[in-house]
Amino acid sequence: MYTYKSGIAQIDEVSGGFDAGTNILILAPPMSAADQLAYALTKPVPGEYAIVLSTNERAAEVIDAFKVAGADKRFTGVIDAITKSSTPGITDTARLMFVSSPTDLTGIGIKFSNMIETIFEGNFADGETGLFPPPIRFCVNSISTLLMYRRLEVLYQFLHVLTAKLKKIEGVGVYILNNESFDEKTLSLIKQLMTCVIEVKIEQNVNMMRIRGIPGVSGEWMKFSVSKGQVTILP
Amino acid sequence: MISTGINGLDEMLGSGIPEGSRVLYSLEPGVDAQLFMISTLSCALAKKRSCLVVLPNTTVDAFRNDVQRMYGERPDLALAPVTFFDSVDWERIQKSSKSPEGRARELQARIRKLCREQDVDVIFVYFDLLNEEFGTDAATAIFTSVQEMEREKKITLIIEHLNLEGLQLLDHVIRDLKFDLVLAIRSSFRPFPQFNYFTLAHISWANLPSRSVPFIIGEGRVIPYIPRIVVTGPASSGKSTFVLNAADDGHSVDRKAQEGGMTTVALDFGWIRWKDFDITLYGTPGQERFDSLLPSYLGHAMGALLIIDATNADQLPRARLLVEMIARRRIPFAVAINKCDLPGTLDPGLIRRTLAIGDKIPIYQISATRKSDVNFVLESLVDSITQFRF
Repeated sequence: MYTYKSGIAQIDEVSGGFDAGTNILILAPPMSAADQLAYALTKPVPGEYAIVLSTNERAAEVIDAFKVAGADKRFTGVIDAITKSSTPGITDTARLMFVSSPTDLTGIGIKFSNMIETIFEGNFADGETGLFPPPIRFCVNSISTLLMYRRLEVLYQFLHVLTAKLKKIEGVGVYILNNESFDEKTLSLIKQLMTCVIEVKIEQNVNMMRIRGIPGVSGEWMKFSVSKGQVTILP
Repeated sequence: MISTGINGLDEMLGSGIPEGSRVLYSLEPGVDAQLFMISTLSCALAKKRSCLVVLPNTTVDAFRNDVQRMYGERPDLALAPVTFFDSVDWERIQKSSKSPEGRARELQARIRKLCREQDVDVIFVYFDLLNEEFGTDAATAIFTSVQEMEREKKITLIIEHLNLEGLQLLDHVIRDLKFDLVLAIRSSFRPFPQFNYFTLAHISWANLPSRSVPFIIGEGRVIPYIPRIVVTGPASSGKSTFVLNAADDGHSVDRKAQEGGMTTVALDFGWIRWKDFDITLYGTPGQERFDSLLPSYLGHAMGALLIIDATNADQLPRARLLVEMIARRRIPFAVAINKCDLPGTLDPGLIRRTLAIGDKIPIYQISATRKSDVNFVLESLVDSITQFRF
């Protein structure tokens, strides 16, 4: 089974990375480095593909962020749930697909399946091909936004289907959730769908994280920074 | 009757959906099946029916644009006057009424007013947000009550819903909400990797068995699709003749055999568009030396047909071996006894006993040179495939 490198030495040295089918929840307050951390974990290494479901920024901004992180944009796709509401005429491409709004779970599900199918058919990366079966990293850059538009029970069922599909195709999923805006019931329900939780907090302007759910990896708080898609654990 | 826009489906329904019906298109997450609703809408408009489209999750412009981009220009939809209730209208109601009950009342009044003003024949509803807001029963009642209030008009209600609750919701809709047609659109990984299919879960106006039909989206329409039927049998039993006679576009790989006559040296291939189904047939070579390949041919098949020569009893032991290989796959399967137009044919009962096949496996006496025989076998096999629970 394929193992996805996390780029975090504390994980990769102990477990080799994330097992295929792992779903990772990043619980983080606003203004933390959660987005950068999620993108660093989603950034495809050579041979891999990445798909971002963007519920809070435009596809162009996501692609820029991945470029800064050093990702090959030919292997990065975005399902954009923001742009279409202001630009209804915008057209899908193999790597950029648009849904009308974050409420449109039907559209999100279809575009997710279509993008995966495009990857499997080898029509994703301008004639370039990665490994086969394709290792796919998937990121939802905010479950919080989806929760603003849809009820928890509905979203739970939807994410249940999405995480199960990701397991079936042996991908890895990274999901960001703002832990200050939702109650404990919401957090614990979403956690049930995940294999691993990374909690993020800020203390004295320093980002800290603690990893839970990966055997052998310490659950202690660690200071970290993210620069150009590289996560560094600080002393 | 209102056509679904999918000929194969209309035929199963008895030429379409009767006026005044309640219809649910239930979509499993991730299945690209929005074309079912669009096709039905397009057909209703082509027949000059007055249509109301309720889409609380998007604007009219975004909807029209999506339809055009995804499924090509649909002149009926582009040109015909359609009445819309879109996300802007829905937001207005959300702002004006504080309670869900108030919003439901206001929405119902608005729908009824639109139906009267526009003399609406068919209401198309994108249901997700309304289901979430009011619950399945109350959200459905908003529209069914309008149907009942305007009973003489026989308004048809067609709902598309992202079904996150699975069979439980379908049962409820059929049993308690009295829907007339429930079509569950799903995807599966077996027996063919990642194929989509629709299941006729319930029809109130006909006594039909539940059917599941695989489909693809192509040329801007839903195409019922059977990706692989394997035609196998002993050498010289008539497989290539069957495939070539069945196919609109077939390719035989027969070559002259050392022992005289012709023999298949690789796979025969046939593509058929039959009763709106796209079907591909794979005819295997009959010699034992190719048997190691047979499991992989059968691997993703949705059905199999064994052809045997009715005039050659020596083929039966070989045919029995092939029956055992097919039976392991647990797929719909039939036997065609070929060359029945020749003298000295074997008794079908003897063949059934020798091959040790049960009564449920159909045996057909045919001549593969007669297209009518070939079509009859295909029709029966497709019927078995659509009734099979994969």
